[in-house]
Amino acid sequence: MTTTPATSTPSTTSARRGAGTRSALYAVLGTAAALVVTIPLLWAVLRAFQTNDTIVSAATWSQMLDLSGTNFAQILTPSGSLWRALMNSVIVSVATAVLTAVVSALAGYGLSTFRFRGAGAALSVILLSMMVPFQAILTPLYLEMNAMHLTDSLLGLVLFCTTVNLPFGVFVMKAACDAVPASIEESALMDGAGTVRMLTTVLRPMLLPGVASAALYAFLASWTEFLGALTFITREDLYTLPVALLNLQSGTFGELDYGLLVAGAVVAMIPCILLYIALQRFYVQGLAAGAVKG
Amino acid sequence: MTAHPSHSVVRRPRSLTHPPRTGLLLVAPAILLVTVFALAPLAFALYISVTNWPLVGEYRFVGPDNYRLALTDPGMWKAIRYTLLYTAIVTGPILVIGYGLAVLVRRRRRGSTVLRTIFFLPFVVGLTTLSYMLVLEAQPESGAINRILRALGLSDGTTAWLVDGPLATVLICLLVIWTVPGLTMILLMAAMQSIPAETYEAAQIDGASWWQREWRITIPMIRQNVAIALIISVIGSLLAFNQFFILTRGGPGTDTMTIVGYIYNRAFVELQLGSATAISLLLVVVVAAVTGAQFLLLREKD
Repeated sequence: MTTTPATSTPSTTSARRGAGTRSALYAVLGTAAALVVTIPLLWAVLRAFQTNDTIVSAATWSQMLDLSGTNFAQILTPSGSLWRALMNSVIVSVATAVLTAVVSALAGYGLSTFRFRGAGAALSVILLSMMVPFQAILTPLYLEMNAMHLTDSLLGLVLFCTTVNLPFGVFVMKAACDAVPASIEESALMDGAGTVRMLTTVLRPMLLPGVASAALYAFLASWTEFLGALTFITREDLYTLPVALLNLQSGTFGELDYGLLVAGAVVAMIPCILLYIALQRFYVQGLAAGAVKG
Repeated sequence: MTAHPSHSVVRRPRSLTHPPRTGLLLVAPAILLVTVFALAPLAFALYISVTNWPLVGEYRFVGPDNYRLALTDPGMWKAIRYTLLYTAIVTGPILVIGYGLAVLVRRRRRGSTVLRTIFFLPFVVGLTTLSYMLVLEAQPESGAINRILRALGLSDGTTAWLVDGPLATVLICLLVIWTVPGLTMILLMAAMQSIPAETYEAAQIDGASWWQREWRITIPMIRQNVAIALIISVIGSLLAFNQFFILTRGGPGTDTMTIVGYIYNRAFVELQLGSATAISLLLVVVVAAVTGAQFLLLREKD
């Protein structure tokens, strides 16, 4: 096994000491790394409660704690542009998550259980689209969507985001359907279940983790999607949050307000963190199924 | 065999319970979306790339001119060099830190689940949102980075990080190295956990040290997962755009312009769609080659 000359069995005391050192090392490194990750995020939350004046005046450390909720009040004003952008982001992300989950589940079931001419080609087409990064076909995609009146349209953005997330979703759902024992489906077929009832009742409990995984992925991806929204949306009332923040940063809405900018970023961060923590089991499973197994 | 004995001709036993037409219908929406929003633009790209396609007005066939121009365009080569430099800087640290985090949390210990969650948080929040948070901390005088450096006596705190090419590059690389290793960690951890414990026990009895076990057992056994994690991270770096566009807009000048940023500028600022598309197609070839390598690795594994 090893090329080292040492063949004597390590004594139990030194093994135990090694384990003790390793536990201490784990505690120290784990805590340190956790702080390196969490402090900047918490710092951003603190910043979001500071006014622009506090932020740009290079306040003393004690003045840093002059906190106020004015930034959030401004974002959550229903007539404001950031509120509008937040709602657009919610619409696009929820619609993308639902559409991706439904289309992926149908395709995954079809590719897993049905034998039909072109099934292999269908799978290849989906695989192929995974190899074409949308960043690289942005120009023709823009022209095509423009011709179909899908630019400056939230529907267009939803269809685009769904397509980007689809290959992953289809693979997750195909894997989930492959894992369903044929006997379960057969006995349901005996009972006269049709395709729709099969998916919505019999297979649902078994496919739910896959659906959750595909939907969560699509939601998070479209929630933080930037380049597509930047390219396809030019109307300010249709901006999603990431693009609205860019406008805020370039000072389009008047003088640059760092407090508002960081508060907007914190508002963008919160759903990601909450959803991930609540559904992380599905997220990690999906990652293993989609990225590693293919 | 069949649930419908009244039906006369049964060529394939599954065809009645799972009619091919239903299968086709189930797959159709996915195929439609992928065709319209991925494959058609790709085909369209080939066509545009040989014309002088403007956003408005007439266009004509120009043959390989766009490709010739692209290959002799110093701006494109600068963007390619910069993207490769960026990729070269961040890839190693992302892998090493991600591997280290995976080692730290792969065993079920007190708090390991919480640590896994925390380490993955930056990736979940995403580079776009994090970039906006970084904007104010990179400002001279008021930003946290300058305040910390001044408090440590390392600078006078007036550094304008985002208007200097090399400094902005350092900052963006640090942001990415802070954000992405969580993904590598998740990708490697599952593979590490699937190595049977007996393998390690046998090596331990033979007196192998921790380093030896890591080098001789873990790394060889998860090398395909390492390769996949590497490929995912390299593709991400080659396609980098958001953090650069938000923090520097590719500036000062074009000093921090990545290849995707260059294509975006060429197409939507300079309105040179033909040329932008020609460059895009070169990028498609590179990314498709890297992704193809990933599929080959995956196939080898099964």
